[in-house]
Amino acid sequence: MAGEPKIRLDHVSKIYQGAEGPAVAELTLDIDPGEILVLVGPSGCGKSTTLRLINRMIEPTSGRIYLDGDDVTDVNPDQLRRRIGYVIQQIGLFPHQTIAENVATVPKMLRWDRKRISTRVDELLELVGLDPRVYRDRYPKELSGGQAQRVGVARALGADPSIMLMDEPFGAIDPITRESLQNEFLRLQEELRKTIVFVTHDIDEAIKMGDRIAILGEQSVVHQADTPERILAYPVDDFVRSFIGAGTAMKGLAFERVGDLDLAPFDEGRNGDGKPVGTITADATLFEALEEMLRTADGKTVVVDESGRPAGVVELSHLSDALRTAQDEARRHYDELGAAS
Amino acid sequence: MSEAVTPLTARWRHGRKHSVSTVAMPTGAQLWHRYSLVLAPAFIAGLGLVLWYYYNSLGVGTIAQIQVSSALDWETKLKPQLIQHLTIAAWSTLLVILVAVPLGVLLTRGGPRRIAPAVLAVANSGQALPAYGLLIIFLAAMGQGGRTVVVALVVYAILPVLRNTMVGLDGVDRSMLEAGRGMGMTRMQTLLRIELPLAVPVIVAGIRTAMVLNIGMATLAFLIGGGGLGITISSGLKLNQDAVLLVGAITVALVALTFDWFGALAERFLHPRGL
Amino acid sequence: MDGLHSWWEYVVGHGDDVLEATLEHAQITVVVVILATVFSVALGVCVQSRPTSKAIALAIASIFLTIPALALFALFIPLVGPGDNPAMMALFLYAILPILRNTVTGLDEVSPAVVESARGMGMSSAQRLWRVRLPLAWPLIMTGVRISTLLTVGIAAIAILVGGGGLGTFIQGGLTRLGLPNSVESVWVGTVFTVLLGLALDVVLSLVQRLTSSRGLRA
Ligand SMILES: Nc1ncnc2c1ncn2[C@@H]1O[C@H](COP(=O)(O)OP(=O)(O)OP(=O)(O)O)[C@@H](O)[C@H]1O
Ligand SMILES: [Mg+2]
Repeated sequence: MAGEPKIRLDHVSKIYQGAEGPAVAELTLDIDPGEILVLVGPSGCGKSTTLRLINRMIEPTSGRIYLDGDDVTDVNPDQLRRRIGYVIQQIGLFPHQTIAENVATVPKMLRWDRKRISTRVDELLELVGLDPRVYRDRYPKELSGGQAQRVGVARALGADPSIMLMDEPFGAIDPITRESLQNEFLRLQEELRKTIVFVTHDIDEAIKMGDRIAILGEQSVVHQADTPERILAYPVDDFVRSFIGAGTAMKGLAFERVGDLDLAPFDEGRNGDGKPVGTITADATLFEALEEMLRTADGKTVVVDESGRPAGVVELSHLSDALRTAQDEARRHYDELGAAS
Repeated sequence: MSEAVTPLTARWRHGRKHSVSTVAMPTGAQLWHRYSLVLAPAFIAGLGLVLWYYYNSLGVGTIAQIQVSSALDWETKLKPQLIQHLTIAAWSTLLVILVAVPLGVLLTRGGPRRIAPAVLAVANSGQALPAYGLLIIFLAAMGQGGRTVVVALVVYAILPVLRNTMVGLDGVDRSMLEAGRGMGMTRMQTLLRIELPLAVPVIVAGIRTAMVLNIGMATLAFLIGGGGLGITISSGLKLNQDAVLLVGAITVALVALTFDWFGALAERFLHPRGL
Repeated sequence: MDGLHSWWEYVVGHGDDVLEATLEHAQITVVVVILATVFSVALGVCVQSRPTSKAIALAIASIFLTIPALALFALFIPLVGPGDNPAMMALFLYAILPILRNTVTGLDEVSPAVVESARGMGMSSAQRLWRVRLPLAWPLIMTGVRISTLLTVGIAAIAILVGGGGLGTFIQGGLTRLGLPNSVESVWVGTVFTVLLGLALDVVLSLVQRLTSSRGLRA
């Protein structure tokens, strides 16, 4: 992770005209290449403002913005934006243009030749899981909400930008479709390795999507910016604690796999006392192991290998140990940070 | 965005709020449009037929009806009047478009945007402006002739196009502009590729209104020496000859209805697919 | 400034005439608009739920509005002779579309859920119309009435051309005496007072609209 950040916000502030205080105050944030950084925070805290500062949809009042180490605070914003994908909750597909025309918007502005644009459009539609033969010539009103948002993503990927800014992209979509869009998007990201800044106010979405999460308070003050694991294990202050809400410890279990544990041995006599015992496989998460224990109302669950033979046992103590370890690791990390500064 | 808007629709709806607002159309209205598209030509054809038979039954050109004949002669009266009438309407409509659309664009961006609601409010009450009075005022200022008529018409008919341009541009969903700007479109590009195409139906509706107003006002052009079919109507009034009056009035009505229908076709034709 | 002064002198000098013409103009307008309102609202209520009749009614009303004023005025002369009558008949036809359209739109926009719940409470169809649908559509209908009023005021100025009265007489008078003293002032009086009358009626109607619309419907 060392090396130059992809995006660097350096003491960036934004004071809207006529507003009393700043919407974003002295924000400093580095975003590494290829990571998904999620901005979460309560409504009106300045998440969208922060995002829009990056592609200069709004101009910072003070501070500098760097992309790939270059100061882009004063470059031509239109040129800049063609290099950055931007997806918004309302999607904003152009209703008078076909899906293909919508997706071709940026390549057209960059004056690609027609053949290249056409190939690119097909490629992008396939990438987001829409059959080009079916959807190319449709109009936006002929799409479902989920499909429209896929087109929105395809359009933002038009000229293969290395950076994507996404403002609550799945916010207006029903929970089931949202879940599948999230999964597809994560799969896509495995392949594309874009640098993504993702805004949401849903902490669960943040935990799911983020390589790192930045929890913002009023005026985009960063309360904590770290991996989901560390944030869940060790919220640095009350604001973060109350924002991530109840059940946090349990959510943290989702980051560790059963296979990584030092399992208790499976003992036919002790474990086979007639009660139904839940079984899971080694690639299950600790969260799933806990669920299995709760389902069977048992303090343990049996781990089986591919052939269904018991390989060991997960016990409650494993879970509490895992949580404690994560908390200790996070505390140590923050102590070191504190000592260093 | 709204569906197409008939000539005066934007005016009706606008009265609701004295502010820039989207022009929405109810669902039933689409049907109305379809009917207008079919009913209007049927009505025009019927009226044309009536006029044709009536005109022929008058025996224009025979010596018996000297007054009627001279007022209704096709070659020396009606045809040149018709041409004058259409010329006046065409010029003024063209000039209205050239002035009002750019002005509307200007008034919906940047600083001038702040006075947009005031402009719309004025445009709204401007409906009470009597065409007749305006024409004579211009006559007093500019003298007789077709040019004066055209200028007065432009002033009179500018409002609907201006208003519809502003309302149409303003009705474009903000999120579309955000998306366009976000992809690096310049302001000019968002205007030309997103805002104007989406506003076309509303703007064309305004132009259609202006055209119909212009054809109507060209009927008064005779008052200030601009010619047009109003001459025939006024001769009918002066000579107290119902036949002349009717031929003049029906001809004018036919011209207006025909061009309004062309306008309806244009609206239909220029409507962006996908809306 | 000079023009404005002489204009004012003219108004003061002809105060009675101006007042009389304005009142006649207002009378023509008010009578026409009241009749058109009653007719159009009734028609709108009848056709609103019948798509075909609705479309035809609107199409015909828009045909009237397309015909140039002088032509439509003239068409009535063979029937009723010159004077205020042909003008009022033509104006009546003009005034229909805005009110009819807004009546239909207003009724269309009433949420089906509201009507359904009114039904569920046992309201008869007449009760639903008077107590629910018309009150909800009323602000929009009144907007249509205001637009028709402005339109009528403006067009009524040419009633003089078919032998009627109103403020058009000042415009006509100015035209026939053009070049002589006070002719331009006379035209301006006719024009300005027509616009002022339109604005005054619009203000009155906007008050009526406000007072007769439910407070729950105000934007
Ligand atoms: N164009 C603007 N002009 C003035 N103030 C604005 C503007 N846009 C946003 N603000 C203010 O700036 C603050 C931050 O707004 P922002 O849109 O960034 O919040 P957000 O975190 O994205 O909220 P949400 O979760 O509701 O989308 C808010 O107080 C908002 O009222
Ligand atoms: Mg936001």
